[in-house]
Amino acid sequence: MGEVLRSKTAELFNEPGCAKNQAKSEKERKKGCSKPLVPGAAAGGCAFDGAKIALEPIVDVVHLTHGPSACEGNSWDNRHAATSGPSTYRLGLTTDLSELDIVMGNGEKRLYRAIKDAIARYDPPAVFVYQTCVPAMIGDDIEAVCRHAAEKTGTPCIPVLSAGFSGKKNFGNKLAGEALFKHVIGTIEPEYTTPTDVNILGEYNIVGEIWQIKPLLEKLGIRLLANITGDARYRDLAGAHRARVNMMMCSAALINLARQMEERWGIPYFEGSFYGIADTSAALRTLARMLVERGAPEDLLQRTEVLIAAEEARAWARIEPYREILKGKRVILYTGGVKSWSIVSALQEIGMKIVATSVRKSTEGDKERIKEIMDDPHMVGSVPAREMYARLANDEADILLSGGKTQYVGLKARRPWLDINQERNYAYAGYDGTVALVAELAKSLSNPVWEEIRRPAPWEISADIVPLDCGPQSRSGLGEA
Amino acid sequence: MPQSAEKVLDHSLLFREPEYKEMFAKKRADMENMPAAEKVQETADWTKSWEYREKNFARESLSINPAKACQPLGAVFAAAGFEKTLSFVHGSQGCVAYYRSHLSRHFKEPCSAVSSSMTEDAAVFGGLNNMVEGLKNAYALYSPKMIAVSTTCMAEVIGDDLQSFIIGAKEKESVPQDFPVPFAHTPAFVGSHTTGYDNMLRGILEGFWANAEVTKNETINIVPGFDGFAVGNNRELKRILDLMGVEYTILSDVSDQFDTPSDGEFRMYDGGTTLEAAKNAVNAKATISLQQYCSTKTLQYAKSFDQETASFHYPMGVAATDEFLMKVSDITGKEIPEELRMERGRLVDAMADSQATLHGKTYAIYGDPDFVYAMARFVLEFGGEPRHCLATNGTKPWAKKMQALFDSSPFGAECKAYPGNDLWHMRSLLATEPTDFLIGNSHGKFLERDTGVPLIRLTFPIFDRHHHHRFPVWGYQGGLRVLVTLLDKAFDTLDAAGLEPGGDISFDLTR
Repeated sequence: MGEVLRSKTAELFNEPGCAKNQAKSEKERKKGCSKPLVPGAAAGGCAFDGAKIALEPIVDVVHLTHGPSACEGNSWDNRHAATSGPSTYRLGLTTDLSELDIVMGNGEKRLYRAIKDAIARYDPPAVFVYQTCVPAMIGDDIEAVCRHAAEKTGTPCIPVLSAGFSGKKNFGNKLAGEALFKHVIGTIEPEYTTPTDVNILGEYNIVGEIWQIKPLLEKLGIRLLANITGDARYRDLAGAHRARVNMMMCSAALINLARQMEERWGIPYFEGSFYGIADTSAALRTLARMLVERGAPEDLLQRTEVLIAAEEARAWARIEPYREILKGKRVILYTGGVKSWSIVSALQEIGMKIVATSVRKSTEGDKERIKEIMDDPHMVGSVPAREMYARLANDEADILLSGGKTQYVGLKARRPWLDINQERNYAYAGYDGTVALVAELAKSLSNPVWEEIRRPAPWEISADIVPLDCGPQSRSGLGEA
Repeated sequence: MPQSAEKVLDHSLLFREPEYKEMFAKKRADMENMPAAEKVQETADWTKSWEYREKNFARESLSINPAKACQPLGAVFAAAGFEKTLSFVHGSQGCVAYYRSHLSRHFKEPCSAVSSSMTEDAAVFGGLNNMVEGLKNAYALYSPKMIAVSTTCMAEVIGDDLQSFIIGAKEKESVPQDFPVPFAHTPAFVGSHTTGYDNMLRGILEGFWANAEVTKNETINIVPGFDGFAVGNNRELKRILDLMGVEYTILSDVSDQFDTPSDGEFRMYDGGTTLEAAKNAVNAKATISLQQYCSTKTLQYAKSFDQETASFHYPMGVAATDEFLMKVSDITGKEIPEELRMERGRLVDAMADSQATLHGKTYAIYGDPDFVYAMARFVLEFGGEPRHCLATNGTKPWAKKMQALFDSSPFGAECKAYPGNDLWHMRSLLATEPTDFLIGNSHGKFLERDTGVPLIRLTFPIFDRHHHHRFPVWGYQGGLRVLVTLLDKAFDTLDAAGLEPGGDISFDLTR
């Protein structure tokens, strides 16, 4: 239990960028901002998980997990973060600590040798070393090992102090941001800068979503200097300190990074989302406005409006045919963080009704937003599977949108389901992504299997079967075109 | 064209459009600092050389793509096979989220398990409070009939004493005094998921059997072991034993828990070995394990009650199934019925029909020790050569046993077992000494892409194909399933080669 970790934890909890934290008394603040965990209730991920998923999308570096083999073994390559180049990040590297290493205190030596071996083998631009519970408890000083290894090899080694027990997934995201700020950002100067350089923080290029955003920015002449961290290269990140504006996504997961970049390099930041049409437009507008405020050419504002008008018109025209099938359909949204509100507005735009949205892993800001955009903001925390099942089975919703761990609960309740977490196979960002989401929703709602699943076996006589009102009218959920 | 509102492109095609390609190329040029393409190619080729292989096998401190999971995963799996049993993993909470995802992605079913969510305070002061609080909440929230406690590394490093904690929690009325809370210490830095399965199963039996009055009866106990195909396999097992008229108890049967129907009812718990049956299993005359490496401690414990014990290596294929049936018949005195003899004949017939296709084909196999042994043995049966057999959680004695298997057949002459190696070693093996096929799990798809050796998915975890686990691979019927899977891959590979220029000479209608 390093002094380092404790002071780091205190510092992270004391986040001046976070309004909620600032409103607390000194004593309250000391307690930290994560809700105390409830032992014995189903639980989400840990700080290591959070740090790893925030950094794993950096595609050209080696990610080395220091600990017993399973932290890496269970989480290795399990998110669809896409790459347009190297796939070094998809390897599962671990020091695979054994009982003997732990008893004899061989962890540090083993880590040093593993770093050297990984560098010799893959020659990456950097190595990220993740701390897990066990080495943290036996006192391995990974910062010292990384320093030493970097001196010896000339390759930057970045320690990520992410012992699992230090907190939840959200906290791990912040630890990741901390590692980037302390060791990566600002270490390389970009070859050139433009007055319209921006960064996006907390976008992980799940199934390639950043590639649906980048063309929009390029049409406006905005350069995406660094996407932190989706499809990132080490060099993008290292030069990110020269951006003019930071856009923060993903529930302020990296708010500490955004704030520190503002303090140190004067980069203003705002929080936005690229899910849904209105949010995409708002994000583009804000980017343009903030860039102009910092000296970008004035005409960017008009050009942004022109682009938005054209893109919106195109997207709405395409969504139109799906309206009929989606209108009034009731959704339970069971996801986390930013998607808890950004997807809400996306769905409301097309006339769907949100019965409930979960606010696990969501910040106070997220919750505020939900209240703003929903007429009847029904927010739920962590819902046990049984309760989720009951709500679906009681015909409270027509479709469940969630991630992998919940999907099968939806199926048991004989309700359509759509994956909107990291295992999904479609990119839903931006204008085009919203159309793709709508098309997928329509497909899911109109699949004949729901009819099948709700019909009793022909030899059973049953009175209480609720017929689905969205049977297969056609193959795509559209009128036959 | 990029993703457009007019025509939504599928993800697999979308990013091959020219606009995206251009974007990627620009990123590469600006940000990757890569040497010239020739140099990159040269290095990539070099990593497939013998020289690199030697360097690779000299690796000491670094594990790359290990093909094993950890003890608590096995413990959660074992506990899931008992009636209304909730797994409670004592330690930091992230681990449990991983187990749930892992099992959910493979079985396509919900998977419930809880954690005592220990944090830094608990690391300093011990996790007693988390146990007291956690058992209370789990009992109240999820109404299980039994809570099976295992541990993560964190609780193991500080040395939490589960037994006294559970006694303490019961004194504080977290759960009723007579409520079963079996436990097992399952540190991830020792062994693998197969060890955890063994520890938890033994822990559960100890909970029921300790101080039991034994009155011997004619039943036998069956331990299936950690098995990604448990849904299909356990049902096949029950069918076979029912055919023979054997009275049996399966110790940890997950086949219903991980395969619940969609009929409008949500089953947080389904099926499994009843607690009553688990209690009575102490009276059995024998305990038979289908996976030796998942059950050493459990069998020792059964032995201490004067039970006869026997263990197998994942009975797949003809001879392995024969041995299993004969042992069951031997212990119970029940005949092997005609029906099974016919099934056996059909499997042998099918193998004979297709022997020309499979004869002399070479295989690389990886997975858990029992599975690798079984697969290699089956491959030898139809004249294939299991060249590289790798188990990250295999031991030296396992490798010896594998060697003895190779020595038993002329087809084993050039085969070798690799205990404790990982999939990056396997990559070197496939690059330097390619085989015709690779048998493993979903993680093998990258080896397939890198080395061009076609992958056949036959073991846990399978995340990128659906429903394989619903079909058995054990027994004669299971053997057919495995055979067909291998044959399909062989023919598909042959036909794919026929699509290349000049390859259509052997692009035949009849195979």
